[in-house]
Amino acid sequence: MANFVGSLKKSTVQIALAGVILAVLLAFWKPHVLVEGFQRACLYAVIALPMALILGIVGIINLAHGDFMMLGAYFAYWLNVYTGLDPLLSILPALPAFFLIGMLSYRAIIRYVLGAPELNQLLLTFGLAMVLEQLANLLWTSRPIKLPLKYVSASATLGSFTFGIYEFIYVGAALLVLIGLLIFLKRTDMGQAALAVGQNPRGAKLVGIHVDRTYLFIFSLSIALVGAVGAIFMTRHSIFPLVGGAFTMKSFCLIAMAGIGNLTGILWCSLILGIAENFLLSFRGYAGWADILFFALIVLVIIVRARQRQVK
Amino acid sequence: MNRWKYLLYLVIFIVLLTLPLYTGVYLLNVVDIILIYLSLALSWDMLLRSGQISFGMAGLFGVGGYAAVLLHLNTGVHPLFSILLGGLAAGILAWLIGTAVLQLRGMYFAIVTLALAEIFRVIVRNLPDLTGGPEGTVLPSAIFSGNSTKTYWLVLAVAVISIIASEAFRRTRIHFALTSIRNDEVVAKSSGIDVFKYLVFIFGITSAIQGLTGGAYAHIYGFVSPDGSFSVDFTLLPIAMALLGGMHSTWGPVVGAVVLGGVSEFLKLKIPYGHLMVYGLIIVVAILFFPRGIVGTLGQRFKNTHRG
Repeated sequence: MANFVGSLKKSTVQIALAGVILAVLLAFWKPHVLVEGFQRACLYAVIALPMALILGIVGIINLAHGDFMMLGAYFAYWLNVYTGLDPLLSILPALPAFFLIGMLSYRAIIRYVLGAPELNQLLLTFGLAMVLEQLANLLWTSRPIKLPLKYVSASATLGSFTFGIYEFIYVGAALLVLIGLLIFLKRTDMGQAALAVGQNPRGAKLVGIHVDRTYLFIFSLSIALVGAVGAIFMTRHSIFPLVGGAFTMKSFCLIAMAGIGNLTGILWCSLILGIAENFLLSFRGYAGWADILFFALIVLVIIVRARQRQVK
Repeated sequence: MNRWKYLLYLVIFIVLLTLPLYTGVYLLNVVDIILIYLSLALSWDMLLRSGQISFGMAGLFGVGGYAAVLLHLNTGVHPLFSILLGGLAAGILAWLIGTAVLQLRGMYFAIVTLALAEIFRVIVRNLPDLTGGPEGTVLPSAIFSGNSTKTYWLVLAVAVISIIASEAFRRTRIHFALTSIRNDEVVAKSSGIDVFKYLVFIFGITSAIQGLTGGAYAHIYGFVSPDGSFSVDFTLLPIAMALLGGMHSTWGPVVGAVVLGGVSEFLKLKIPYGHLMVYGLIIVVAILFFPRGIVGTLGQRFKNTHRG
C-alpha cells in the first residue's frame, strides 16, 4: 500500500513537472497561447463545474446545460436593453432568477425521469435543449448579438507582449465556483447531505435526509451558477441561440476525462484542453480544426477507460 | 387474419407506388420529405431497440450525401450507384466509430454521436478543395433531371428498404439479442450474446440507412453544404417522430413520420422562426406522459377492449 502511494506520488510529481516545463517553453515560444489558453480553460471549467455537480449528485446528464448558459446570456442582454444594467451587475439578479428556473425545470420535468432508464433522461434533456434553443430563436432570432462594452478590451503589456486582462474574470469565476462548491460540499450540512445522496440515495433516505429536496436544491443551484456564467460570457463573446450547445459537449468531455465526482480534476483537465486548443488555433490555416480536438479527446478517453475496465 | 394483413400491405404498397398518378407535384414533394424523415426515424428506432441512443443522424445523413455527390462528380459513377456508395461510406464510418467507442455505452456513446454532426461539419468546411468548403458543392443537374415521379420512386425505395430492414430485425434472432441487451446487458452477456459485436453491427447498419437517405436527399436537391446537409433538423425531427409514434416498433416511427411530416409543412408556414420548438416539446411531452407513443397507447387500448 505504502509502495503504491509512493509510486502514485512520484508519477504525479513527474506529470506536474512535465506540465510546468511545457508551460515555460510555451511561455517563451507563444506567450499568448499560454495566457489565452489559460483564460479559455477557466471559462470551460466554470461551465463544466455545475454540470458535474448535477451529474455527480442528481445523476442526470443534462444535455440542456449549455442552453441554460445561453439563456443567462440573453437574460443579461435583456436587462441591459430595458434597464441599462451592466451585464456584469446582472449576475446578481441572474442568480435568483435562474435558481427559480432551475426549480421549475426540476419540479415540472426532471423529477419524473429520475428513476427512469438513462435513455429517457438523455432524450428528455435533449428535447429540453431543443425547446430552449428554439425559444431563444423565436424571441431574439438567430442573429448574433454583442454589446459594445469598453472595459472588455482592457489589456496589459509585458515587455513586447500585449494581452487582454479582462478575460482573467473567467479565472476568478472558475476559482470562486470551485472553492465555493468544495466548501459547500465539505463544510455545510446541506453539502454533506448532498454528497450522501449522490453516493446512495436510498441509504441517505434511511438516515433521514430529504432526498427530493436535496436534488431540487442541487439542480437549482447548478442552473443558477450556469445562468450567472452566461451573464459574464456575453460581455466578451457574441451570443446566438445555438451558442450553448458546444459547451454542453465540451463540459461533458471534461467531466468524462476528470471522472464523475472529481470537481478539482475538471480544472486541471480544462487547463490541458484550453491551452492545447489555443495552441492549435495559433497556427494559421489549421485554426478551423481546433473544434475537433475535444472530440478526438473524448474518443481517446473512452478507449482508455474501456481498457482500464477490462483490465480490472 | 394474417392473409388479410398481407393483402392490406399489398394494397397500400400499390397505392403508394401509383401515387404520382393522382397527385400534383407539390403534394409529391411533401410526401418525398415525409418518406425521407420516415427512413431516418426508423433507422434511429432500430438502434434504440438495443438501448443505445444516437444523436448523430444528421452527421451520417450528411456524410452519405457528401459521399454520394462527390463520388458522382469525381469518378462519374451513376447517381443511383453513388447513393448506394454513400450509404456504404456512412456504414463503414459508423462501424469504425462504433468499434472505438461502443466499449463504453449509454451516455458516453450518446454524447459522442451528439458531436458527430458538428465534427463532420468542421471537416467538410476545412477541406475546400474536395468539398467546396463553406459554400458546399452544387451538382450540374438533380437526379433524373428533376423528374418528380422518378424522384418519388427513389425515395419510396429507400423508405421500403428501411421498413424491410426494420421488420427483418424484428423477426429474426437479432431482435432477441438486441432486446435482451436493452433489458439487461449482464444477462445478455451470460446467455452468450456478444454484446459489443451486435451493437457495432446494428450501429453500422442503421448508419448505412441514414447515409443512403442522405445520398438520395443530396441527389434530389442537387447540392450539399455544411449547414444544409448536417442540419439539426435531421436529428431532431426523426426523434420526435419516433417518440410520437411509439418506440421499439416498425409502425410507430412510420405513423409518427406521417403525422408529424404533415403537420410540419403547416408549421413551417405558420412559424417560420422557431417551428422546431414544437418538436422539442413533443419529445419532452412524449417522454413524460406517453412513452409508448400513439401506436403503443392505441394498441394497448385495442387489446384491453378485446379482452374486456
